[in-house]
Amino acid sequence: MSMRSFLDERIGLGSGWRAFTHRPWPGGPALRHAVFAALVFLFVQQAVLGIVLAAYYSPSASDAWASTAYLNDQVALGWFIRGLHDHGASVFVVLAVLHVAALAFAGAYRRPRELMWLAAIAVLGLALAEGFTGNPLPWDEKGFWAIQVELGIAEQTPGGGAIKRLIQGGSALGNLTVLRLFVLHVFVLPLALLGLLAFIARQRRRHGPAAAADARSHTYAPGQLMIDVLAMTVTSAIVATMTMSAHGTELFAPADPTSGFQARPEWYFLFLYKLRHYFEGSLEPIATVVIPGAAVTFLAAAPVIDALAGRIGRITVLAGLSTMLAGAGLLTAIAMADDRGDESYGKALEQANKESVRARNLAREGVDPRGGGAVYWNDPEYKVKMLYTEHCKNCHALDGTGGGEAPDLTDYASTEWLSALIRDPNDPRFFGKTKHDTMEAYGPDKLTEEQLADTVAFLESMMDTEGKMLDTDAIDRGKVLWNDELDCNNCHEIEPGKDNEGPNLYAHGTTSWVNRVIRDSGAKDLFGEHAQMPKFADKLSDAEISSLAAFVVAQRDR
Amino acid sequence: MVQIPSDDDPNGTIATATSSRRSLLTVAAGALGVGLAASVLGPALVFLGHPLEHDATAGDGEFIPAGPIGQLGGSVPVKVDLFADRVDAWNRVVQVKVGSAWVLQQGGELVALSTVCPHLGCGVDFDAGANKFYCACHKSYFALDGAVESGPSPRALDRLDVEKGEKLVSIRYVRFKVGIEAKEPIA
Repeated sequence: MSMRSFLDERIGLGSGWRAFTHRPWPGGPALRHAVFAALVFLFVQQAVLGIVLAAYYSPSASDAWASTAYLNDQVALGWFIRGLHDHGASVFVVLAVLHVAALAFAGAYRRPRELMWLAAIAVLGLALAEGFTGNPLPWDEKGFWAIQVELGIAEQTPGGGAIKRLIQGGSALGNLTVLRLFVLHVFVLPLALLGLLAFIARQRRRHGPAAAADARSHTYAPGQLMIDVLAMTVTSAIVATMTMSAHGTELFAPADPTSGFQARPEWYFLFLYKLRHYFEGSLEPIATVVIPGAAVTFLAAAPVIDALAGRIGRITVLAGLSTMLAGAGLLTAIAMADDRGDESYGKALEQANKESVRARNLAREGVDPRGGGAVYWNDPEYKVKMLYTEHCKNCHALDGTGGGEAPDLTDYASTEWLSALIRDPNDPRFFGKTKHDTMEAYGPDKLTEEQLADTVAFLESMMDTEGKMLDTDAIDRGKVLWNDELDCNNCHEIEPGKDNEGPNLYAHGTTSWVNRVIRDSGAKDLFGEHAQMPKFADKLSDAEISSLAAFVVAQRDR
Repeated sequence: MVQIPSDDDPNGTIATATSSRRSLLTVAAGALGVGLAASVLGPALVFLGHPLEHDATAGDGEFIPAGPIGQLGGSVPVKVDLFADRVDAWNRVVQVKVGSAWVLQQGGELVALSTVCPHLGCGVDFDAGANKFYCACHKSYFALDGAVESGPSPRALDRLDVEKGEKLVSIRYVRFKVGIEAKEPIA
């Protein structure tokens, strides 16, 4: 017994295929009948892609972005798979619209195909719902703000408050929101779509795809079969080409509830977005409920309109549908043109793309489990700020926050900072709240402004002077003041290694000097026994201390 | 092909004449369909198979500080937990427990034994009464130097590299393949 007859006897494979290909096809092969085949094909492709994406995606507010960035940027062909799924969604919406239009122009809403027609409208609705629930899943800036705004719109409609709360899983966006959108997107809506597509397929077998004037007997294969497969091939090629040319699809920076991201919906929602602009304030429900509701009701009523008004009814249905499509197309075009002409939106988008590149590069190291936004903790600049906040800020104020017990490090070692320090070292800004009180203040009576400037110039000459214009005369005058007139050298050494009452100022204000202070400010040639600052050599790693030193020194050059 | 009589062709001869063309077209359509399926399934399988070639986790193989010298190295084994940064797919977790080791003094040197049983990977415990290591899952018993005394374990407990610093003992944590005689690190 051959495998074929074995399977045929048990599950009717061969006879099922024969019944499928040899079924009558009234009117013969036609391109418009192939839209449904392409729709079914794309549904299956989306399902397969969705299943494999789910093998890497983690539906929680803290994991969603990082797992999407991982599967998109690190897993083999991840960009391609995710791109196919995203562009496939766009093409699916287009096909769902074409499907409704093809049925309308074939008059396939008339008896006995009314339910098939309603199912086709529902398929379009579910296609949009898949977009609505799928686009926020990466929990990037675009997805986050899209769902935020869309749920806000839903709230304005009657009963919308409850819908928003149900989808959101409470009063704010979070883990439950992502999970609920995920459940809708991968279980509820696809099952409903599968049911509807199966229903339409059965209806087509029962009644034929549309009424046909041509009474000759045709079968599905090979004519329509070939056209269907070609339509699927073209669909697949379009999705693949879109994916290749965009190199996958966009993934913005992780959701940040405090950012000013300029939210725009996916292109197939743009017409609704634009429509709202014409109905502001209390009129808004006209755009969000009344017009869309009227459009859907009109389409659903097509069988009735046609039956009541005959030829005029048919014209009404087609004119109505054409108006809707033209209107939606026009609104979409206006919205796109507006954005293209909007300079601030262009800049914001450019900025968002830069943020995206930065965040995704940082994500390659792995993201802290506390959430997508934690990706920025990988940034060395952020890390050092956090170190400063954790270990330094309690005593050393910076930019107006923290501290008060030890010198304020805002503009540390800048000309202004050094000048003010010499004028009054015991000011609370400097050593006023520490045990260091032996240095005398050099007020204007002891040191003129010019002399102060010369002294500071001399001090600055001991710092990293590469690429700086130096006033050598001022430095020389400062050196004389330092050694002879002010007797600074009585307490402060300026040769490496020597110690004295005050800190040795050789190379002070450089990273190496600050590094030594952080390691052990109580070293003999630094602040000695009066030092109150903890010895960070025991607490922080060498790399951490170096990064902090560089950070402190960088305050001067801001 | 079955001959299909119709009004135009009562004997079904036209259908016979066209049947080879019909089946050829059907086969072509089928071939295109298979190609379409492969164009998505191929990349999808590469995507799913990514972990075959790439490790999703990282963090093994470094010396990890285990504790101060003074507290380790008695003749009674001490269990130390080893903490390190670890990458797990999209996450990087800072200072998470990556494993643990039994540390004791053996023949004048400090020995660290992985707590992972070489049999099937259960956690190895210390029986203070019998002065033996044992694995409760399948009843393997090990001497203090790690040698198998009884039970199904195919090899002795896995020794980990130990490094003595001025104050700290560090251990290089590595996971080894289980169920085989040879001590092979998991790549």
